[in-house]
Amino acid sequence: MASQRKEFQLACKLSDLRPNHPNTIEIDDRFVVVVLLNAQVFCLEDLCTHDGGTLGDGEMDGNCLVCPRHGAKFDVRNGEAMCMPATEPTLSHEVEVRGDEVFVRLRDTV
Amino acid sequence: MSTDIASSESIGEINKYDFRTESKAFFKARKGVDAEIVNQISEMKNEPEWMRNYRLKALEIFNSKPMPNWGGAIDINFQDIYYYLKPTDKQGKTWDEVPQEIKDTFDKLGIPEAEKKFLSGVKAQFESEVVYGSLKQDLADQGVIFTDTDSAIRDYPDLVREYFGTIIPSTDNKFAALNSAVWSGGSFIYVPKGVKIEFPLQAYFRINAENMGQFERTLIIVDEGASVHYVEGCTAPMYSSESLHSAVVEIICKRGSRCRYTTIQNWANNIYNLVTKRAVAYADATMEWVDGNLGSKLTMKYPAVYMLEPGARGEILSIAFASKGQHQDAGAKLVHCAPHTTGQIISKSISKGGGRSSYRGLVKVEKGAKKSKCNVVCDALILDSKSRSDTYPYIEILEQDVSVGHEASVSRIGEEQMFYLMSRGLSNAEASTMIVNGFIEPLVKELPMEYAVEMNRLIQLQMEGSVG
Amino acid sequence: MTTTISRNDLAGFNQAGFNQLLERRIDPVWITQARKDAWAAFESMGWPNPRDENWMRSDLRGFKLDRYQPIDESETQSVQNAPVRLIQGVDVGGSLRSENGVVTAESLDPKYAAQGVIFGSLSRCARDHAELVKKYLHSQIDIHVDRFAALQAAMWTDGYFLYVPKNVVVDKPLHIHAAMGDGKVDLTHVLVVLEEGAETTVLFESTSSNEDADGFHCGGLELVLNARSNLRFVGLQDWGSGTWHFAHKRASVGQDANLQWTIAAMGARFAQVDQRVALVGPGASSHVNGVMFTRDKQHLTYNTIQQHSAPHCTSDFLYKAVLQDRSRTVWRGMIKVDVGADKTDGYQRNDNLLLSDNARADSIPGLEIKADDVRCTHGSTSGRVDEELIFYAQSRGFTRVEAVRLIVTGFFQQIFDRVTIESVREALGVAIARQVRQYE
Repeated sequence: MASQRKEFQLACKLSDLRPNHPNTIEIDDRFVVVVLLNAQVFCLEDLCTHDGGTLGDGEMDGNCLVCPRHGAKFDVRNGEAMCMPATEPTLSHEVEVRGDEVFVRLRDTV
Repeated sequence: MSTDIASSESIGEINKYDFRTESKAFFKARKGVDAEIVNQISEMKNEPEWMRNYRLKALEIFNSKPMPNWGGAIDINFQDIYYYLKPTDKQGKTWDEVPQEIKDTFDKLGIPEAEKKFLSGVKAQFESEVVYGSLKQDLADQGVIFTDTDSAIRDYPDLVREYFGTIIPSTDNKFAALNSAVWSGGSFIYVPKGVKIEFPLQAYFRINAENMGQFERTLIIVDEGASVHYVEGCTAPMYSSESLHSAVVEIICKRGSRCRYTTIQNWANNIYNLVTKRAVAYADATMEWVDGNLGSKLTMKYPAVYMLEPGARGEILSIAFASKGQHQDAGAKLVHCAPHTTGQIISKSISKGGGRSSYRGLVKVEKGAKKSKCNVVCDALILDSKSRSDTYPYIEILEQDVSVGHEASVSRIGEEQMFYLMSRGLSNAEASTMIVNGFIEPLVKELPMEYAVEMNRLIQLQMEGSVG
Repeated sequence: MTTTISRNDLAGFNQAGFNQLLERRIDPVWITQARKDAWAAFESMGWPNPRDENWMRSDLRGFKLDRYQPIDESETQSVQNAPVRLIQGVDVGGSLRSENGVVTAESLDPKYAAQGVIFGSLSRCARDHAELVKKYLHSQIDIHVDRFAALQAAMWTDGYFLYVPKNVVVDKPLHIHAAMGDGKVDLTHVLVVLEEGAETTVLFESTSSNEDADGFHCGGLELVLNARSNLRFVGLQDWGSGTWHFAHKRASVGQDANLQWTIAAMGARFAQVDQRVALVGPGASSHVNGVMFTRDKQHLTYNTIQQHSAPHCTSDFLYKAVLQDRSRTVWRGMIKVDVGADKTDGYQRNDNLLLSDNARADSIPGLEIKADDVRCTHGSTSGRVDEELIFYAQSRGFTRVEAVRLIVTGFFQQIFDRVTIESVREALGVAIARQVRQYE
């Protein structure tokens, strides 16, 4: 079942983002992590597919956000799980940067 | 890539650890784990830089992780343990120092003289090279690599590096991190495509001093279409002066391959046995864990299979016997990550004399793993009112097109069964033993014969209360 | 030194709000003291830790306590359009209605009152029947177990007290309806006490003014069954789909007493319910039926415990869940058997039917057994609707939705068979059928 195309919603200000670091943001009753990496902005669902917990207090390792609890890694560009113990991708959301504002369109399915 | 087993290194040789390297850094065994110890371990083993760094990073992770807030009670002072002893240090024990109960068990189980001394840590090497030498040649001819992990790092660096830590990263849990920092010994097995090894590979084939180490690190790679059965441990009680044993086992089963890993663990009652074992199975591969937990003060171990591609299968057969002063917190984990995967867990546990036996398991079916099937059966016997039995299964279903079932039961031995057997002349103990043996039969029949025989005899001893 | 509190000064669930509540209320001294102790407990605790076993599958981040305000009981509460479902065509023996946590209507058939049955507002009964209420209120629930229990014990506005004296049989069911408005709160407490040999049936439903109503429910429920008593308790939770629902529910079943407890969880955006039945006297028995039917983004967690503290007791829990859309259920079931609780017969089962690709069911049955002369089993199954059945139904002229409706009803049939109250079976059947989603 195709996910409904939602609208872009304002997530945060670009200037508020700590670079190379997950920033947890609440949009529309959901929690996402927004990452400013090499002057590009990416957005993942704040969910580790291994244990169902949050990714927000993880650290970056190259292109990957590392889950602090068991070390699962997710590529922030597309949500792919890069190492055990995670095997499933986490949702990657569309991002549009307009000036100093970061807009996110939430996906429901991978 | 060389497929010869490193035959130039003679079995059980301890010379490689000797004073040649001592001129570089004088190593004095001391308790505790820190960067200095980890560096020295790496140095003693002459490891490549990447492994030393891997260990140091793992140490940081170990220090940063909290203790688990579930499972058994772990009362360990991490700084009051030796993490690495040179094999020469281990030779200090004499036969007289081995506890009488261990010697008695050896006798009752009929363990041959040479094995007795080896198993009880009296001798650093197992003097049956003649018996096993020809088996090793056979394997080498087929291109099988079967060696200890230390040697594998040096002799097959690319192969090891490709897989080491990919199934169980150091960050996985506190004890995997510890093992990743201080590991020593363990088996490295590579089975080439299409090679089916007919007889079980046993841990003491690859004889060397690190055999029954505290922090074994085992890595098994079964290439496409190959098959292997590996057996670890033994039913004889394992005595160790060091009270923390934390092994890591990683297994990769490639397409169409098959691997069975059998463990019978019977550590003495002062030991914490905290193990992480995990396998991944690719398309149409089958992974089987046969896990017997009889000893230790506390075992925490949940062999796992991740079925990553369609047609993969995971089977786990687990038995736990907890006697007085013991807590077996064991179980199994199956994770279905692809469609048409199948899994099965059978767990049998027994608690006696105040022992506590807990089944802890996970069945997870990821979204998209359509048409997967999994079934779990946990049966527990409590033999008296002082004992305790727990079941903690976790079932997580994220895909609708599956069939998952789980059932568990806890009870005592049925009165009618006892009455029937005793009315045929069996004593209470004999009748109970027969029933318990029948209870664990699904596991025992999967063991290599000599183990099965030993297992039955050991159960008999446990039931009589004369051991453990 | 009371001052009139204007609407704008109404504080939230904080110290100021608590002080205002104390000033507003006319409670007996022992209740005021209990509230203060509970408030101190609330302040001393943090919000539940996600590492805590019972909370690790519940995402509380979207819950904001400061969005809600305690109800000013001095203002008349009125909730429009909250549906009533359980008593169609039923001749009830008494009824209580609350709106936003304040009881607004009470009635009891005089023939029961004449036999000493008490059925009324908890606030009023705490004054009029102080000894009884004092003996049992918060006797089963530990206010320190989490912040929600403490908050409820500190700031409950009203509730329902049912007392049935020794050997009295209340043969007509008693009805309780909790109604909550959009964005409002309900911190009520249910206290049911049956003396030896007493019997009664209670039908309890919670509904909101509109289907997608926001709200905060923080409830407590205690059922005390003395020896040989018999209680059938039905709870239908159908709060609006924006409501946060937290509840601690405890039952204590005495010697040879029998509890039949049916819970239907259909509403709320988020639920965290702890349901514990303690079998404390030999021969006690409890049968619990759970129906969960979720849709959209609902996330319902039900933690249930059967505690056997005495020998010869029987407990039997059956929970069935049907999940649609992106909803999620978490069911934890634990059978605990204490040392000495011989001849225990414990049974637990959870069946899950997933109707969509994006639903998630977590099932965690558990056993902790410390006695040997017992028989305890549990089971869990999860799967989807059998496509062949759908095909068969469609080939006989049913639409897909109708076919799924039939199958879902069939799935819950086992529960319906265990519920011995006709009106409840019908009401549940209707509620469930209405909620079956149209899927392509």
